[in-house]
Amino acid sequence: MAHSDIHYFGIRHHGPGSSKRLLAALEQLQPQYILIEGPADCSDLLPLLAHQQMKPPVALLSYAVEHAQSSIFYPFAEYSPEYQASVWAKQQQIPSAFIDLPIAVRLAQMQAEQLHSEDEEHTNAEQLTPNNNQSDGKSDDQSNNQENTPQLTALLRDPIGVLANIAGYQDAEAWWNDLIEQNRDDSLAIFEQVEHAMTALRQPVAQDSPELAHDHQREAFMRLEIAKIAKLCDGPIAVICGAWHVPALKAKHSAKDDRALIKALPKKLAASKHKSTWIPWTSARLATQTGYGAGVAAPMWYQHLWQHRQQDDHIAPWLVFIAQNLREQGAVISTASVIEAQRLCLSLAAVRDRPQPSFEEITDAVISCMCFGEHALWEQIHNTVLLGHQVGQIPDDTDLVPLLEDLQKRQKKYKLKPEALAREHSLDLRSDIGQNKSILLHQLQLLNVPWGELLDSGSSRGTFREKWRLTWQPEFAIKLVEHIVYGSTIEQAANNKVMASLAKEQNLAVLADSVLNCLTANLSQATEFGLTQLTLRAGQVSDCNDLLTSIAPLIDISRYGSARTLSLSQIDALIERLAIQAALALPYACRNLNDEEAQHVQQNINSAHRALVLHLGDTDILAKWWQAIEAIAHSDQSSYLLIGLCARLLYQNERLSREQLSTMLDKMLSPALPPAQAARFFDGFFTDSVDQLLYDSLLLNAINNWLLQLEETTFVEFLPLFRRVFSNLDAMERKRLFDTLFNNKAHAEIVQNIDTNQHTYWQQHMEKLAKLAQRNKDWLA
Amino acid sequence: MSDILRLPVEQVYQSELDALKADDTGNKPYNWAMSPQAVVTYLMGGKTASGVDISAKYIGHRRIIETAVATLATDRALLLLGVPGTAKSWVSEHLSAAICGCSTQVIQCTAGTDENQIRYGWNYAQLLAHGPSKEALVATPLLRAMENGSLCRLEELTRMGSDVQDTLITVLSEKMLPVPELNDAIFAQRGFNIIATANNRDKGVNELSSALKRRFNVVVLPLPDSVDQEVEIINKRVAEMGQSLDLPVPKNTADEIAKVVAIFRELRGGETLDGKLTLKTPTGNLSTAEAIAVMVGGLSQANWFSQGQLTAAEISQSMLGAIVKDPVQDRAVLEEYLETVLKKRKGYEDYYHHLNQVL
Repeated sequence: MAHSDIHYFGIRHHGPGSSKRLLAALEQLQPQYILIEGPADCSDLLPLLAHQQMKPPVALLSYAVEHAQSSIFYPFAEYSPEYQASVWAKQQQIPSAFIDLPIAVRLAQMQAEQLHSEDEEHTNAEQLTPNNNQSDGKSDDQSNNQENTPQLTALLRDPIGVLANIAGYQDAEAWWNDLIEQNRDDSLAIFEQVEHAMTALRQPVAQDSPELAHDHQREAFMRLEIAKIAKLCDGPIAVICGAWHVPALKAKHSAKDDRALIKALPKKLAASKHKSTWIPWTSARLATQTGYGAGVAAPMWYQHLWQHRQQDDHIAPWLVFIAQNLREQGAVISTASVIEAQRLCLSLAAVRDRPQPSFEEITDAVISCMCFGEHALWEQIHNTVLLGHQVGQIPDDTDLVPLLEDLQKRQKKYKLKPEALAREHSLDLRSDIGQNKSILLHQLQLLNVPWGELLDSGSSRGTFREKWRLTWQPEFAIKLVEHIVYGSTIEQAANNKVMASLAKEQNLAVLADSVLNCLTANLSQATEFGLTQLTLRAGQVSDCNDLLTSIAPLIDISRYGSARTLSLSQIDALIERLAIQAALALPYACRNLNDEEAQHVQQNINSAHRALVLHLGDTDILAKWWQAIEAIAHSDQSSYLLIGLCARLLYQNERLSREQLSTMLDKMLSPALPPAQAARFFDGFFTDSVDQLLYDSLLLNAINNWLLQLEETTFVEFLPLFRRVFSNLDAMERKRLFDTLFNNKAHAEIVQNIDTNQHTYWQQHMEKLAKLAQRNKDWLA
Repeated sequence: MSDILRLPVEQVYQSELDALKADDTGNKPYNWAMSPQAVVTYLMGGKTASGVDISAKYIGHRRIIETAVATLATDRALLLLGVPGTAKSWVSEHLSAAICGCSTQVIQCTAGTDENQIRYGWNYAQLLAHGPSKEALVATPLLRAMENGSLCRLEELTRMGSDVQDTLITVLSEKMLPVPELNDAIFAQRGFNIIATANNRDKGVNELSSALKRRFNVVVLPLPDSVDQEVEIINKRVAEMGQSLDLPVPKNTADEIAKVVAIFRELRGGETLDGKLTLKTPTGNLSTAEAIAVMVGGLSQANWFSQGQLTAAEISQSMLGAIVKDPVQDRAVLEEYLETVLKKRKGYEDYYHHLNQVL
């Protein structure tokens, strides 16, 4: 049975003007069923859109469970006609449904395309993924087809925008407004006019052009869906879809042809393999600037238009809003300027023959009157004003992606609100709540969701304070969804993800670092696994550098772990084992190195030494370590840079006497040795400890003699080295050094003569103080 | 042809103005000669309803001119801001010609301009003979514009001292000029407005006080966006000036203009047009107006001394003058540009050669 009472409303996605007219038209028509362009298999999610707690901007997210990276979003703003229609349907208590191709088919298509492109170009596969992520489900996602003629693409994306451009408007909404507000006749007629325009626009497009193939399928599907629902329903039906599709939906096609068209579609994904839900969106993401296809240039302006749709004067509030923003930036904007801007808007609109000022006029007027003609000033606030920082909200009882659900739960529990605007948080790790917050943020970081940015990372480790900067991006929700393969809670997913990467990791140092990260993120499972891995790998590692670099983070873990109340008995054993291994391998690792390698080893020895001395105290293992250092220092085969370093470490710890050092210096700096070798020794010895020269005459004399006997050319050759080493001294120290060298002053300063005559006075003085300490009142006597 | 070197624009374009007025059906603000839409058409070029061609006076964004005209249609004063040579005075001249049919009510502001040249002076003979009276006042262009409700142009507003600039505040906000000596005031007639031009690049200018700035709607005139646009502007102006100066314009002028524009834009922008090479910029600002002057200089040289042949040789001399404003710094900049860019570029061999010669 044919149903004749079907009404088609061609709207502009995200057009507040469309919404306003649509609502009026719906009131007039009082349909019994509302059909909306959107994935048919998500229809049961549609009533949620009208939920009281649903606060746009929100988006319908659909993703393939096994390939969470293939996902599609259908964003809705408060002013989206689709959103308003669904709210209306809920108020009137009439059913509504989506009628576009099911998400199961779209995802299957997407995966097929991905496979296709991966076959074509393995290397580019990564780049194509984000492309698919961005693709817009609602409008016509032809983005995969790179050979689109730009005109046709524009037409498919925003046909009303194209019409507006033809009419000389930059902003499609202004055109729609002028066109429609001028003709204040009944709303139904307006949609007819829009349909005529679309028919005219569609005419010249070749029906068989490849860009349209996808559209044809979609339209065929929608026709079938409409027919199906028409059979169930008696009253008038309202079909709300992109204006572009109206002529095609209205055209007569036999159901048989349509079915044939749909046959060509890939097979649906099984219901268990895809999932759809609502996620919060941000106003900024609605904008075209962020790469989203059918977006709007100025979401906040549209929002404003929508909010003030019932008022005649919506310009003044907008100008005041801009003025406030400018004032926040420090510009002095008087009320008089705002009034002048308003007047200029009006006269500009008159000059341009427009019924009322639109976005363009207002921008021009603002620049001229409020920014004193300076574009730079406007650009400063342009993003805040036009894009805004709104984040949508979804009802508490929405069927959430499990990870998101977990996140929301913890956000609520720890009182961390997702906000688009950056905000700094200082956490006290001694309190439970602070620690919990920190753990959550660290776990999210491991899941590639950098909601928080640790501001003073590194220095804060081990202290009780952390400073974070929190900025929530809607992409984070998507990233979380991608990680759903790892587990259904954030902690579990983070644990599993880290464990997966730990299992593959061969490098000891990276392993040790990851374990440290796991600790801060309180992932006990992954930490334990990491430690096991470390123990396993430690046996296999022969490269001394790996051993050395893993020691410092492990010692960090050991010290940090005890502060975090985590049992880490095996970690100390591991450190000891690694230290022994390193100590054994070290002397050999210091041989036959070129300069670059030697420097690398130098750094590693330095960091490991510092950590070991701190951690091990006086143990046998430390003794082993010192043996290794000694072996390096006394071996002719070691790199001279490292000999220098080790000699200094020994000397500083009084494991090398002055006599021994003196002999060593003479030997290393003797004229027979090539100056390059001597310079390396010098480098190793004095890098980071040149201040030793200030109070050690032995060293000073040795170096002084060596430098003096260098030939001029050699001296010049090593000048950069000397400059580098001596630049560690500050101005005062350098002066002291020069004084010592040239005036022999320093000795006079340092030498202290003890005046024994004063001895008795001291004795008395101390006795008095002792009395005072005993609170004896007559201590002065 | 008249003996006047450069006629006021309302006379040069009288036929266009008349044609626009004849077809003008739009609403006119009080005391305007034509509707705002017609003014925009006059400036931007187009066709009147009866098909008369209107030449473009300003080549650039239509929005800028629309904002300017819309400003004047209110009672707000207009300030045209921009680097030297971006057609500020040109636009202001044409705006006043189109709106009130008179572009000659102008005050040239300099460091030496005092209040008497802005407000009113005194006829001292009258003053001594009859004492202070309205008859003893000597009207300035501003005062006359107020009295007859027309436009007054202020050229280079920022060049005069800040104290003198501020004389305008009362005029702009209260639309009247007090004459305390007579215990009287002169009230502006409807239609009165001010178009000021100022330049935001020069050193030694007096910044506008914020009180005064607030009373202007500011429109910034940018340098031309694209090469083509700039070439178009210069082509048009050179042809017009050639005509008024009786200089024949050889056929190859357009090609040479394109080359001069390319060189100017590269030096001005600090990089080659293909964006591959960064260049030093000279101290001068090498505006479109200067490119026009260079071309007219070249035409004159060609006409009088080179048998009408316009080549790189004729243009180079005036080009050098435009580029090298600072004899030491700019010379080095130009030398570097010649050696690194022009030397290798095809079609510019002549310029390389001749510029090197005159350098």
